[in-house]
Amino acid sequence: MTKSNHVKIHVSHLKKNFKKLEVLKDISTDVYEGEVVVVIGPSGSGKSTFLRCINNLEEITGGEITVDGMSLTDKKTDINKLRENIGMVFQHFNLFPHMDVMRNLTLAPVDLKKASKEDATERAHKMLQKVGMEDKANAYPSQLSGGQKQRVAIARALCMEPDIMLFDEPTSALDPEMVGEVLQVMKQLAADGMTMVIVTHEMGFAREVADRVLFMDGGYIVEEGTPQEVLLNPKEPRTIDFLNKVL
Amino acid sequence: MVLILTKYGHLLLNAMGQTVLLALCGLFFACILGIFFGILGVMNNKICRAIDKVFVDVIRGVPLIVLAYFVYFGVPYFMKNIVGNPITLSALQAGTICLALNCGAYMAEIIRAGIQSVDKGQMEAARSLGLPWWRAMYRVVMPQAIRTMIPSIINQFIITLKDTSILSIIGFPELVNTAKNVVANTFMSFQTWGIVAVMYLIVIEILTLASRALERRLNRDKE
Repeated sequence: MTKSNHVKIHVSHLKKNFKKLEVLKDISTDVYEGEVVVVIGPSGSGKSTFLRCINNLEEITGGEITVDGMSLTDKKTDINKLRENIGMVFQHFNLFPHMDVMRNLTLAPVDLKKASKEDATERAHKMLQKVGMEDKANAYPSQLSGGQKQRVAIARALCMEPDIMLFDEPTSALDPEMVGEVLQVMKQLAADGMTMVIVTHEMGFAREVADRVLFMDGGYIVEEGTPQEVLLNPKEPRTIDFLNKVL
Repeated sequence: MVLILTKYGHLLLNAMGQTVLLALCGLFFACILGIFFGILGVMNNKICRAIDKVFVDVIRGVPLIVLAYFVYFGVPYFMKNIVGNPITLSALQAGTICLALNCGAYMAEIIRAGIQSVDKGQMEAARSLGLPWWRAMYRVVMPQAIRTMIPSIINQFIITLKDTSILSIIGFPELVNTAKNVVANTFMSFQTWGIVAVMYLIVIEILTLASRALERRLNRDKE
């Protein structure tokens, strides 16, 4: 949690429509280097869409997002290069089922010529060790439990050596007893100083790890601040209402 | 029966060879067309998708026999009398074009549906790692799509192999055309068509067995 004053992600007046449906209406915020931002809010509030806009998985309708000073809407920006720097972890893991764990981890670094096969393999072993999965390097995703899959997915993203990590409800598809192992890995990552944006329903985790909490509803950021402020002393009625329901 | 086998056997075997040759030529180009249009059908660009849709709808909406007459008789007529630039197509060329178009349209549908059957999250995960669309398609989506496509593709191959018989009407010396001549000479309809049916059965059975072996292999890799 070595927050600096260097802005990694700058979001201003972000809008996103799906056809006629306005999902994000006006989102502005900055994420600083090393900061851990947790986004909470009811279903349909646009939190996942917001996250997916950051690495351009959803094309934005209006406003601006810059990552490391490069604008997503600028035609000159190489989105693929930008994405190499932004790891993403999905709710449903999205491991490649036709490849073993090692190949899942080395595919992108080798294919994009970011590392030789040997270097990528070495890094993959290190990352698997980091998430406690080094003994499963040759397993296929179908042989892993949900928690194991998600830890492998985190390792896969880390193999590209990103400096930003996005987490889209990483524990929502897990059996309750597996949530802890994944959160543990994420805590470790936060402690290492990774810039993270996390969409989650794990309020305990948010309170413990977040530098800042954003509460989203109806396509707006309704309230933001430290976990202390937003989770323990919320001011907005909608935040209070939401927290009363989930806590 | 014995007479047909001894006297016309080699003729029928040759004709089977022609049938297989025509089918292979047609399938080869059908695969190229199918992959091309199938991928157009899953691209983000609306125009690309529209091109695929028009191709598939037009070809699927025209019976193969009409397509055969059109390509073999209609197109040369058009070139000679209207464009003033005569071309002639051999029966093999015209047959190949017809099968390639016809089978290609169905292949395009199989390939498009196969790609779309792969969970969208796979493409997203690959893209989020920085892979460009084409790399993600080639490395991540296609290998998974092919597994689901194989049975339908083999099925389409079998249909196309049988459809070569329709091209007997443009005079290509494939099995049905040849068998007609044999019947005209011998008047032994029952025996001749019986033999022809068995010949088709054997070739298609070989194809079926090969496809099962291929499917088994692909599924074994998955474990």
